This record gives sequence, structure tokens and C-alpha cells, in this order.
Amino acid sequence: MKPIRIIFLSLFVLAITPAFAEDGGLLSGETMNYIGYGAIMLALITLCIAMYVVLKAFRVVAQILLGPEGLEKEKTSKVALKAERKAARADRLNKLLSLKPMSEEKSILIEHDYDGIQELDNPTPAWFMYLFYVTIAFAIGYLLIYHVFGVGQLQYDEYRTEMAAAAKEKAAFLAKSADKVDENTVKLTTDAGALAAGKSVFQERCAACHGVNGQGMVGPNLTDDYWLHGNSINDIFKTIKYGVQSKGMPTWESQLTPKQISDVANFIKSLHGSNPANPKEPQGTKIAEDNGSTSAKEAKAKTAMVVK
Amino acid sequence: MQPDKFYYDNKIVRNFGIATVIWGIIGMLVGLIIAIQLYKPEMNMHNQYTTFGRVRPLHTNAVIFAFVGNAIFMGIYYSLQRLMKARMFSDVLSKIHFWGWQLIIVSAVITLPLGLTTSHEYAELEWPIDILITIVWVVFGINMFGTIIKRRERHIYVAVWFYIATFVTIAVLHIINSVEIPVSFFKSYMVFAGVQDALVQWWYGHNAVAFFLTTPYLGMMYYFLPKMANRPIYSYKLSILHFWALIFIYIWAGPHHLLYSTLPGWAQSLGVVFSVMLIAPSWGGMINGLLTLRGAWDKVRDDVTLKFMVVGLTAYGMATFEGPMLSLKQVNAIGHFTDWIIAHVHVGALGWNGFLTFAILYWLVPRIYKTELYSKKMASFHFWIGTLGILFYAIPMYWAGFTQGLMLKEFTPEGILKYPSFLETTMRILPMHVMRSVGGALYLTGVIVMAYNLYKTAVQGKLVANEAAEAMPLPKLNPEAGTERWHRRLERKPIMFLIVSLIVILIGTFVELMPTLTISSNIPTIASVKPYTPLELQGRDLYIREGCVNCHSQTIRPFRSETERYGEYSKAGEFVYDHPFLWGSKRTGPDLQREGGKYGDSWHYNHLMDPRLMSPGSIMPNYDWLITQKLDTTSTGAKIRAMQKLGVPYPAGYDKIANQDLDKQAKGIADNLAKDHIKVKSNKEIVAIIAYLQRLGTDIKAGKTANN
Repeated sequence: MKPIRIIFLSLFVLAITPAFAEDGGLLSGETMNYIGYGAIMLALITLCIAMYVVLKAFRVVAQILLGPEGLEKEKTSKVALKAERKAARADRLNKLLSLKPMSEEKSILIEHDYDGIQELDNPTPAWFMYLFYVTIAFAIGYLLIYHVFGVGQLQYDEYRTEMAAAAKEKAAFLAKSADKVDENTVKLTTDAGALAAGKSVFQERCAACHGVNGQGMVGPNLTDDYWLHGNSINDIFKTIKYGVQSKGMPTWESQLTPKQISDVANFIKSLHGSNPANPKEPQGTKIAEDNGSTSAKEAKAKTAMVVK
Repeated sequence: MQPDKFYYDNKIVRNFGIATVIWGIIGMLVGLIIAIQLYKPEMNMHNQYTTFGRVRPLHTNAVIFAFVGNAIFMGIYYSLQRLMKARMFSDVLSKIHFWGWQLIIVSAVITLPLGLTTSHEYAELEWPIDILITIVWVVFGINMFGTIIKRRERHIYVAVWFYIATFVTIAVLHIINSVEIPVSFFKSYMVFAGVQDALVQWWYGHNAVAFFLTTPYLGMMYYFLPKMANRPIYSYKLSILHFWALIFIYIWAGPHHLLYSTLPGWAQSLGVVFSVMLIAPSWGGMINGLLTLRGAWDKVRDDVTLKFMVVGLTAYGMATFEGPMLSLKQVNAIGHFTDWIIAHVHVGALGWNGFLTFAILYWLVPRIYKTELYSKKMASFHFWIGTLGILFYAIPMYWAGFTQGLMLKEFTPEGILKYPSFLETTMRILPMHVMRSVGGALYLTGVIVMAYNLYKTAVQGKLVANEAAEAMPLPKLNPEAGTERWHRRLERKPIMFLIVSLIVILIGTFVELMPTLTISSNIPTIASVKPYTPLELQGRDLYIREGCVNCHSQTIRPFRSETERYGEYSKAGEFVYDHPFLWGSKRTGPDLQREGGKYGDSWHYNHLMDPRLMSPGSIMPNYDWLITQKLDTTSTGAKIRAMQKLGVPYPAGYDKIANQDLDKQAKGIADNLAKDHIKVKSNKEIVAIIAYLQRLGTDIKAGKTANN
């Protein structure tokens, strides 16, 4: 029994390892996932081995316990029982599949043989034919629904329906939620929660191009006084939301919620003057930091300039 | 009358058998390597010739045409001689067939890693090899029909029906799908473009599965299974019904690979309904096989070859039920482009083709060597580790497929994608990719054990190269023969059989292909879609060379989840200059159809140099050789001329000045990169591929601005 105990023990250890890791917080979620999956794998394999070992062990134990005679007896009674059960099962199956009993096979053997291979003259099974007819009926029905009666929607209609339903749902949700900000209503804030949320979005989505500290890499430096598309909170919100196709800035409207865009825009505002290492050279025009929310009117005037 | 004495050619069977085992191991090993690359990109050994995009076609070609192909010829050469009671028609043709086929495979092994590819899935080989394939296939056909014609058996058995259908359909498929116009000895463009090319390719691709992986194996099943079990075939009537239904219906089902694409709706619907109607004809083969084992199930317990057959047939039944289900649009919307499809094909490939091949090898090798199998225990081990391998392969892949398919479609209540970053969904399924490679390794281990077992078997026996046999010569046709049933009559007219099969498979072919290829209203044109510039064209050919299409699709389906993620859905008119089409069939990475303008040039430069710089955690390999390699511009003229021949409207004489435009555009990109402190000469390959990526999907946007 020793090996089995060891197997169980190791399984147990594997099972609780990830839990310890979580408490310790030493490993990232990613690594923990890997350990977890590895443990599952290992457990599966160990289980296979354990089952095999146990099976073998039972066989040996049975042999020893029953002795040669008992074993023989056990075998014959088992064989008889098995044969009985098998016959009953075969009978049921034959009825279900409308098969002829084996004893009548001779009468349906086709005389001819090919290199010793003979064929039986069995009919095609009834259930098989029904299956075939049902699929044919499905096919005809399908074509009628989609292409004759026009009841079913083909892909472009289906798309329009899907988009309309989604727009409705979205509108209903946003009407109820406090997240409903846009480039005209966005407010400058120094709320720590908002900035922290903005920072995490920034690290995840923006850092690849603008640098971890906003110093600029592929994308421009976000910490200096120079701006390509305006530096008011409204301008930044707008640049993030719609992107700048020609410069390679993606549209984030479909990937971030209005709240997230507002947070990240505020986070960017908070970076101003942070003087990170390896800054990218200035791009755009020098604009004085405004330190306050521009009025919607001003913002509009500025964005009009940017569009040009 | 005296019986004729003659000899069966066992040597050719043995040769195909050896080739089967060797190519099988190589093909599966390549598969294992690329499976590992999907979570450890460094497994490409930092070498362009062993990188996923180029080697994945090598894996598929090696297992389909080398492993399965040789196994088919082994099975046919063994069974056909015995069913026809005749030696193969010509030993010389047999030899040409064998060595010709190996030559094709070796040339695939050389050209695919070099990036010489047409990019048509399962038909990647370039035009000179296509011609070689045609010649060898004709040699095979002559040899087969020569044998059938000099037969000593009046009627042809169901196995041979399947062989005939295989021969004729593969010939038709290969020729139509390989209509290409050579640019140079190693480069060609497909004659059809966009939607048309896609339809032809998937009509081919689907039927390569039908007539290379299915019908010849059904034929072999009909010979070897009754031999192994020593039982009569369950139903002759079922054989007739499912044979004709199968070959007639299969040919129509190709468009199910293009659901929700820009293929016309009627063609998609035909693909759906014919796939559903395929369930019964496919299962006909399985039940005729399984019911043949009636009264022999006790043998299955002891006989490892029968075990392989039973699992193989069951896998076939599962895959052929799953296929039609995946063809339903609602299911396809989730499963398509994901690992679900990989699971599906591997249940078929590992279970059905693999296990049937192993069963036949275990049965046949001892017989042609007049000995017993060296070790039954080893064979049994192979069976269990193989079965385990299939489970470890398929289950994680199904899991990964569902997970990713559903994640990509999920929205938050705010109406934005829950997982907007494609990479996030990829990282979620990487553990499944690890498990899949373990499954593959188990399966491969089994095959290696088999190779050793068969080798020992061969060594302990002695090859009966020419096996003596005798049979009565065919008597004159009995006048009563006229009263036979129609099918019985057809069975003694092989040429007629060939013609009828050809007609049956051509019906679906014509109905589906002809309207799309000829009626222009099926592809509405878009005025703002213009031909590629010379630099973009060269970049596109690099995209083809690197096999980007193996992981990135270029077709956006009309789903909210896709238009939000990638941009406006694809229009048929956008692809009219795409010779060949590059829609792809699997999204290991995101779709690229609207990639143009999404990121800056320098983003692409950095991303190609090391994808992890821009997308931490990405499993895309580094394409740093694009930075060092110089773009070959000597081919530009020939490429423009070839495109002009295909109807792409470049101005007359443009081929002579194309390189000037190319240099100008390249310089513009290099200057643009220089602004971001990236110093790269404008004549490097990376500049061309950036030009192509930045063009992708932008033409219809240009049209919009102009209209507004």
C-alpha cells in the first residue's frame, strides 16, 4: 500500500501548492496558472498509473486468495454468466437495430466471394434510412426558409439585427449608469482612485507605444509641453476615443468604457512635467499647461483646429 | 480449363509500407515541433526555415500526402492485386509511381521551408511540383486500370469502387485547383482571385479530405476488415447506397469552410445543407464496418489490429457527425478560426487515418514476410498509448476552442468587448496548447514503437517478393448476364464505372463553381479598390513566403464582435486583385484585413523584430531576418506582367517602370521610420512587408472620404 500512499500524498501536495503560492504572493497569476495546469496534468497521469497499478495488484491478490482451483471455478462461472448476459444484450440490440439473428445468416450470404470476402444481403437498416430522409428533409426546409420564403435572415440581415439590438441595450445601460461621459462633459480630476485606474489602463494599453512613464517611444512623449492634438482634458479624451488614423493612434472607443477613457486621460494630464528618463524629442506645438477644465466652447474651437 | 498461375508483387507493397512509416514519423515529429512553437516561439531555433508559418504546411503535406498517401498506395497495391486476381499491370509503372511520389515529397520537404508556396492550403507546392504530381497520378491511374482490365474476376468489389472514385476525383480537384500562371520557376500566381479563388480552394480542400483521407480508406476498410475478422460484409445494399450518396453529396459541401465570408449566400447555404445530408452516407461506411464485426467481437478483445480498426471507425463516425454540426452557421460562428477545428481534424487524422493505417501495417507486414508479428505486447502498448494520445490531444483542443471562441464574442454591459485584446484570449489557452503537445508526443511514441516492432518482424521473416497465386481465367460472358440488376452490370464495366463516378462528382462541382466563376454580379465591384503598388505586391509575396496566413486571417465576418474588434466587415469587391486570396482558416493571432493604418510604421517595425516589444506575452515568432535581408526587386517586372495577364489593370508598360515607384515608396517608409529613430535601408524586406500591412483593408476607407 506504500506506493499508493505516496501517490495520494503527492497529489495532495500538488493540489495545495497553488494555494500556498497565492498566500505568499511570490508568484504571478500567470505562473500560478501554469503550476495549476501542470498539477492537473501530473495528477491525470498519476491517476492513470495508479489505476493501472491497482488493477494489477487486485489481479495478483485474487490469484493468491483463490488459489489455482478456486481461480478455475471462478473463471468458469464467470464465463457462463458473461455468455448469458451477452446473449440477452445481443438480443436487445438486434431488436433495436432490426438485425437478423446470427443463426439466419447463412440464408442471406451472397454466393460470390472476392479473394475470400463474402457479402451479406442485409437490407439497409431502417433507422439509417430514416436518418438519411430526415437530413434530406432538413436540407429542403433550410433552403426554402432562407432562399424561397425569405423567412430566415442571411448574414447581412442577421448583422443588422444584432447591431440594432446591441445599440438598444447599450443605450439602456448607459442611461442608467454614471459612466456616461464624452469629450464635452469630461472633467479634470485629481481623484486618486480615478488616477490609479487610469494608470493601470495606461500600463496595459498605452505603455507599449508611449513608454511606461509616458516618455514616448513609437508614440509621442506625453509629459512635455508639446502637443499634436491639444492638451485640454477634452482634447486628450477625444484623441484617445477616436484615435488618429494617419499617425497610427488606434481608436479606443470600442475597447475602453467612457469612464476608462476619462481615467486614462486624467492620468496622462497628471504626468505633465514628470521628466521621465529617455524622453522622446518634442513633437507638435508648445501649449501652456491649463491646469483646469477648459470650457466646452474652447474645447470645440481647439478640436476644430486639430481636424484641419 | 486450367487455372492461370501468376505472382502478386509484394515488394512494391513493402516499399510503400516502409515509406508510410518513415514519413509518418517525420510528419508527426514536425507537427510536434510546431505544436511546441505555439507556446514557446523560440522552438523555431531562431531560424526562418523552421518557423511555424513555413513549417506548418510541411506538417500537413507530410502527414496527408506522405504518410497517408503512401499508406493508401500500400493498401491499394496489396488489395487490388488480390481482388483482381492479377499482378499489378506493370512493374515499371509501379516503380515510377513509388519513386515519383517520394520525389514529390522530398521536393516538398525542400521547397516549403524555403518559403516557396502558393499558399493554397493542402496544395502549397509550386507549379513544377504540381506538374510532377499530375504525371505520377496518371502513372498510378494507368497502373490501376491496367490491372483492373487484365483481371480474372468478372465483377469489381466495393473496395475498388472507392479506389476508382478516389483516382478520378483527385485528378479533377488537383488540376482545377492548380490553375496558376508562372512568374518564375519557383513562383506563380493563382488564376482566380479573392472570392473565386477561395471557393475553388475550399472546394478542393474539403474534397481532398473526402477523396484522399476518406474514400481510399473506406475502400481499404472494405478489404482489410473482413479479412482481419474473417466475417462477411454486413450489407451489399448498404455499400451501394452509401458509396454513391457519399461521392455525390461530398463534393457540394466545400462552402462550409467559407460561412459568413463574402461568398454569395446561396453557395453558403448549399454548403450547409449538403454537409448535413452527409451524416448518413458517412455513417453508412462506419456501420457497415462495425456490423461486419457482428459475431467477431470476442476477437476484438484479443486482436490488436481489430482494436485499431474499431477505434478508427468510431473516430470516423465521430468526426463525420461533428463535421456537419460545425457546418451549421450558429455553431460555425463560434468554432471557425479556433482550435475546435484543429481538434476536429485530428480526431479524423489520428483516429481514422492513423489507426486504420496501423491496423493494416500490423496485419500486412507479417503476411508478406511469412512470419508472426514480433511482439503483440508492443502492438498492444501502441494501441493504448495511441488512444491516450488522441484523448490528450483532442480534449484540450476542444476546451481551448470553446474558451477562445466564446471569449472573443463576449461584451460588457457598457457595450464594449470584454476581451478587446486578442492576445488575452491567446494567453488563456496556452496551457491547453502545452497539453496538446503532450498528447502528440504520446501518439508519436506509439508510432516509433510500431516502427521498431515492424522492423523486428521483417528481420525475423523473409520477404515473399513474388507471392504465387492462381485463378481461373475469365470465361466468356454468360448470356444470362443481361438479366443482372443494373448495379451488378455496372460492376463488371470498370471504365463505365469511372465515367459514371466522374459525372456524379462533376454535378456539384459545376453547380457551385460555375456561377461564382462566371457571373460577375456575384462579386460587386468597388471603385476605390485599386491594384497593389509594386512595393506592396512584393510585400504581399513576403507575407505569402513567411506563411503569415497560417495564423492570421484576412476576412472579417459580419458579427458585432468582429466589426468592433477589427473594423468594417469584408466586402467581396475588396479582394478582386488578390491572386491568391489570403483569407486563412485559423486565427492563432488576430485578423489583419483592416490592419492598414491601425498602427504606425515603427510599431510594425518593432513588432516584426520582436513582437513582445509591442505586445508582451505574444507567441508570434521574431521576424528579424526581414530587417537584414535585401528585397529582390529583379522579379518586379515579371510579377507585374503576370498580374496584367490575369486582368489586374496596371497601365501598359508599367512593368518597366514599376521599380522606380517601388523605390520611391520604400524611401518614404524608411524616412518615416527614421523620424522614430529607426535606421533601416529602404531596400530591406521589412519595408515591403510594412507597405503591404499598411495597405491592408484601407481602400474602402479611401472610397468613403472621396464620397463624403
